[in-house]
Amino acid sequence: MFRKPLDLGLVVLIPVLFALAPLAYNNQLLLFNAMVFLALAQGINIIYGFTGYLPFGYVGFFGAGAYGASLTVMFLHLPAPVAVLLGGLTALALGLVLSPLLRLSGVYFAIASLAASEAVYYVIANPGLVNITKGPYGVSLDRVYSPEFSYLVMAVIVGLVTAVVVYLKRSHLGLSLKAVRDDPLSSETAGIDVKRQRMLAWSWSALFAGLTGAVFAWQISVFYPGTVFDPSISIFAIVFTLFGGAGTVLGPILGTVVLYGVYNLIGITEPQYFQLIYGVLIMVLVLFLPEGIVSLLKRGGANVL
Amino acid sequence: MFMFRSRRRLPVILAVVTALVLVAVLAGCGTSGSTASSVPSQITIGTLYAQSGAFATASMGEYQGLQFWANQVNKNGGVLVKAYNKKIPVKIIAYNDNSDTATAGNLYNQLITQNKVNMLVADFGSVLTSVAVPIAKEHKVLLYDPTGTGASFFTPDNPYLVLTSLPSSGIWPTSLANFLLEKKIGKIAVVYASNDFDQSQAKTLKSILAGGGVTPVYYQAVPTSTKNYGVILSDIAAKKPDAVIEFGYDTNDIAFLQGIRNGGYKFNMVFTVFPGQQLALIDKAVGNAGVAYTYSYPTPPLFGYNNVNYGLGLNAFVKTYEAANNVKNVNFLNIAGYTAGLVIQKSLENAASLKAKDLRAAVNTFSGSMNTLDGAFKIDPATGAQEGELLPVAQFQPSGGTLKPVIVYPANLATGKAVYPAP
Repeated sequence: MFRKPLDLGLVVLIPVLFALAPLAYNNQLLLFNAMVFLALAQGINIIYGFTGYLPFGYVGFFGAGAYGASLTVMFLHLPAPVAVLLGGLTALALGLVLSPLLRLSGVYFAIASLAASEAVYYVIANPGLVNITKGPYGVSLDRVYSPEFSYLVMAVIVGLVTAVVVYLKRSHLGLSLKAVRDDPLSSETAGIDVKRQRMLAWSWSALFAGLTGAVFAWQISVFYPGTVFDPSISIFAIVFTLFGGAGTVLGPILGTVVLYGVYNLIGITEPQYFQLIYGVLIMVLVLFLPEGIVSLLKRGGANVL
Repeated sequence: MFMFRSRRRLPVILAVVTALVLVAVLAGCGTSGSTASSVPSQITIGTLYAQSGAFATASMGEYQGLQFWANQVNKNGGVLVKAYNKKIPVKIIAYNDNSDTATAGNLYNQLITQNKVNMLVADFGSVLTSVAVPIAKEHKVLLYDPTGTGASFFTPDNPYLVLTSLPSSGIWPTSLANFLLEKKIGKIAVVYASNDFDQSQAKTLKSILAGGGVTPVYYQAVPTSTKNYGVILSDIAAKKPDAVIEFGYDTNDIAFLQGIRNGGYKFNMVFTVFPGQQLALIDKAVGNAGVAYTYSYPTPPLFGYNNVNYGLGLNAFVKTYEAANNVKNVNFLNIAGYTAGLVIQKSLENAASLKAKDLRAAVNTFSGSMNTLDGAFKIDPATGAQEGELLPVAQFQPSGGTLKPVIVYPANLATGKAVYPAP
């Protein structure tokens, strides 16, 4: 899986740095949210960077994971780490249910995935399901609230998703996915099982969004459906991926670190100019660096992972 | 990570540098904490406001009310802090959360961990308060909550929360339900937005009506995002109710009242929530005729409490606030923010130290004896939920081209009689 020491180093280094970061900066929730967006950006990277499918409704998996874990805690009274796993599996199951969407492509897929996530949101927020999902009235997981433990689990998930992206980048599977992305017909002719490959990427992507949503629910412990199905979560993750550079390991990491850092820096220091500065920054980067900031490194002769 | 073809070790170094940037950028968000001293030079109050997004209108009003309180006390040298037996100025440290819960979570943390505030004041409403509740509890910082009335926040195991202004939403419709029963209005339609705030009101109303032998002929939840009530109003009209009760946020109320007006529906009684808090806003959006003869929960400044024994009375508040901010139309949220400040002030006057538990214990000592322009301040000593302020029922009756809120229930607060059925 890890052909070069650097691969393994990267997979270990990022979560370890996040685990240690609270020693240098103690707004732990901000660091936690940075990890959430990093994991989601890498999840988007798996499905978009390697297959070309851009899921605007990616937050649906995040929310499904949050609710899968919450219901596990509330009704099965299982420990939070087990609930996180079941949250991930809930999102995976949702991914399988929504897999027919992969028959669509381009903007049709993007819009259909957004509609699907909204549908899941409205089902969960339905007052008629109040005895199961608590409907629109929010979930409280104060019984298992543990910001320190959930923070460390999130760091592990960041490591895992980075490992999967490194694997895709280095493996024949990743190559065949890119081939499918670039020319599905030729790939099928060459013997690649296109449907299976897409399903694999879709499932991994859903699983990691679900795991991330589950840990997010555990970390914040009190939330409403609108909090975990907020479309802006998808938008941020997509923007971070595109800004850094899709289809690379480094792109989503750089995108999240820089943009989320700037987002918080502006949001805290210059809130009155926040939307203006952030909007202009994204427009400039999309116009002049459409392949993300890793393209700068490529232009400089670097072989970007 | 990335590899320069000629120098294979460089990527490792760059990987480390990139990762360090992560820490550096995030660390750059912070400010250094204040140094400890025996007597603080100022009392720091951390809060958030929403300059944009769904809660902007309400949030800014509440924040301005809190700022007004801080300016008032600082003009007099600050608040009297019992722990130091001297007056100390207050400083509000505020960030903009743009109505976003994830941002709000980061910023509440920022206020506690970087700015080291002495206490927190929550942003408007239950959604933006929800993220603050566990954070304040985790860091053992007292959270003063002006308007986050979600019932799930107030639990006996959380001693770090005080609801300062509105009562928890579950008890809001008590007077309304009694009014309906007293008027012997039997055919009632209830439509409510599916969120914690509105659902708890609908549930209480239904429960009290059931106690009086009345079952609503229509009882339906709608998504909070509902902006068109055309189909729902048509359904309601088919049931021929005498009273139509709509629980929603201001955007719901506006859409609902517009729907009634545009659809030409005629009901004997229509009740909505927010005209009682933001009459000027609703009146502007719906028009005088659309609000006339409807009912709401009136809140100050639409009516005043006479027994104020702490802070400014209503007339003095309106006069001073308008002069200080060069505005007209003081609304309830300005008063809610101001009242949060008053509760903080009284806590500091009574607390043995600035520790959250001492501040919270101090709140219990004056709960039940403090009356502000916002009504009686009385909390459940175990949970911190406000239960002192009962909301009356008012009808907006046209008077000389404007709408006059006439309190019609309960009798001890009434300023007139209801025009029922509505003309």
